[in-house]
Amino acid sequence: MTERTGIRPEQAMKMLRTMRTIRQLSERIIPLYPKDVMETPVHLCIGQEAVSAGLCIHLRDEDLMVLGHRTHGPALAKGLPLKSLVAELYGRTTGCSHARGGSMHVYDGEHGIPGSSAIVGGNIAVSVGLGLGRKLLGSEGIGVAYFGDGATDAGVFWESLNFAALKEVPVLFLCEDNGLSNVMPKSEHMFADPARIAGEFMPVYRADGTDVLSVYEEAGRAVAQVRESRGPAYLHCTTKRWMQHQGVLEDDLPYNPIDPEKDCPIVRFEEFLLRTRLATPGELAAVGEEIERDLDEAFAFAEASPYPDPEAMEV
Amino acid sequence: MTTMTLLQAINDGLRTEMKNDDRVLVFGEDVGRNGGVFRATEGLQEEFGEERCFDTPLSECGIIGTAIGMAVYGLRPVPEIQFLDFIYPAFDQIVSEAAKMRYRSGGEYTCPMVVRSPYGGGIRGGHYHSQSAEAYFCHTPGLKVVIPSTPADAKGLLISSIRDEDPVLFLEPKRIYRTMKGEVPDGEHVVPLGKGRIVREGRDCTVVAWGAMIETCLKAAEAMEAEGRTIEIVDPRTLVPLDEELILESVKKTGRLVVVHEAPRTGGFGGEIAALAAEKAIAWLEGPVRRVTGFDTPFPYTLEGLYMPDPNRVVRGIQQTFDW
Ligand SMILES: Cc1ncc(C[n+]2csc(CCOP(=O)(O)OP(=O)(O)O)c2C)c(N)n1
Ligand SMILES: [Mg+2]
Repeated sequence: MTERTGIRPEQAMKMLRTMRTIRQLSERIIPLYPKDVMETPVHLCIGQEAVSAGLCIHLRDEDLMVLGHRTHGPALAKGLPLKSLVAELYGRTTGCSHARGGSMHVYDGEHGIPGSSAIVGGNIAVSVGLGLGRKLLGSEGIGVAYFGDGATDAGVFWESLNFAALKEVPVLFLCEDNGLSNVMPKSEHMFADPARIAGEFMPVYRADGTDVLSVYEEAGRAVAQVRESRGPAYLHCTTKRWMQHQGVLEDDLPYNPIDPEKDCPIVRFEEFLLRTRLATPGELAAVGEEIERDLDEAFAFAEASPYPDPEAMEV
Repeated sequence: MTTMTLLQAINDGLRTEMKNDDRVLVFGEDVGRNGGVFRATEGLQEEFGEERCFDTPLSECGIIGTAIGMAVYGLRPVPEIQFLDFIYPAFDQIVSEAAKMRYRSGGEYTCPMVVRSPYGGGIRGGHYHSQSAEAYFCHTPGLKVVIPSTPADAKGLLISSIRDEDPVLFLEPKRIYRTMKGEVPDGEHVVPLGKGRIVREGRDCTVVAWGAMIETCLKAAEAMEAEGRTIEIVDPRTLVPLDEELILESVKKTGRLVVVHEAPRTGGFGGEIAALAAEKAIAWLEGPVRRVTGFDTPFPYTLEGLYMPDPNRVVRGIQQTFDW
């Protein structure tokens, strides 16, 4: 991890907290999932936490971000309360989508999440409209599309880049590139480097998505570019997926080797915090414990919440 | 004969036809190296090589457009759409290009492509891993729509679809992929398109259903036996072309009709079958035609069990053709 000095301690701790919340939630889901208490397929974000945390620290509630199917990380980082996410996973009416959405469809108007879609690429064009809407309605906010490398295969991705560039739309395209589309390695699903070609349309930034400071810096630049120019930018974060595409088993693809130390954004960041004395071991432990208590509360809340009324099939 | 699951029968159908005809190619997301998310294409890449069974980008529009180009000039592509719910990026290619190829070329060109796709609910997949979209495609002249409900039919209909000169949507009821087992003829086995099947004979009411709903209707029919009514179940097997004769014959015999499908009611294919009875068998009908269907909502996340027709709802539908 490269040494950087510009980061303020409270921002550093906020990013750590975000990453740990995403990780510790995933770790709770793993043993529970086979018990069928959650009614939804889940796409976990273990290993990818730095991308969400490093981006969202620069975003405000008025910035509207749409997501794909892998929602937990970016949604929590953007501000979705833990308990409304967990209740949604449990299919309870107190969930963020009123038990109509599940893991892949999360909404939170208060924190600028007008939704996510299980249709890969489906939301990218929507982010262009959100950004253009922000501009036309005189909001300071921007649109953000958060998608994976697989989504860059889809025609709608390229249509969206073109549209945003031509119409000068304040939108950030964030590609969370874990090198995999389900089991297909990137080299077999995308011929070109999408970031390079995006450069024909708009300013492009690249970050190491396993290093939260790298994401923090590059996302800071990219978001500032969009805010100041009121036009588009593209941020490409390379990272690693630790789990299988869906569900709670570890990935075992021979072409996706994981080093649980070097590839772990949390291990790397905690080492940095200790080395630079931004945090003490005691403070780090306290963060983890506090999140455990939040999780206890969120799961208890979800379990105590009602299922939707069977009579209310229609919204 | 070999006992197979519906899924194995599809794999066997693909293998048989790939052996038979080297113009047949299989491709789609994760179908090659991985053998498909449901394993329908397992082993095909090893057996036939990467040229004839390959992975594609996450690019439904591109997959189908490419298949069309192959089909119009001498190949027999069998692209897979991973879940029918993901077909919409390719909807334009299917509806605007493939379906109209024969007509707009004055019959000069055909598009012998089979789009295979798992469809339907019952695996708790939520909104986008559960839908039954057959009606959109039935509404598009130029397409054939085929839905098997048994392993033997799956193989025989798939082979017929591949041999057909026109584009076929081959919809596979994923809920019964592994649970439905049956005897499947080895090697060559052909079930013609446009010919339905009487699943169960009965005198008192005709139930038309397809895909995974056949099983549901069989359970309902058993329950009706207790009430002393015998139910005839008709599986059209292909919605387009539709075996009108078989349905009408049955309705004329029983005097009653219930149509069952998972798809939402409004604009569902059940309405078409009800209209058929109204147009051509009204004098034989002794009660109202009933539809037992999904609801006019998106496919739900937690309420799947209520959304999908179950034997009780089918029984109620049948009873309503008597009590009105
Ligand atoms: C239009 C569409 N096609 C296919 C799928 C099936 N599918 C879901 S996620 C996925 C891989 C997506 O990869 P990527 O965009 O890189 O996201 P990641 O899962 O790596 O976060 C596929 C093929 C889908 N959901 N939507
Ligand atoms: Mg990916």
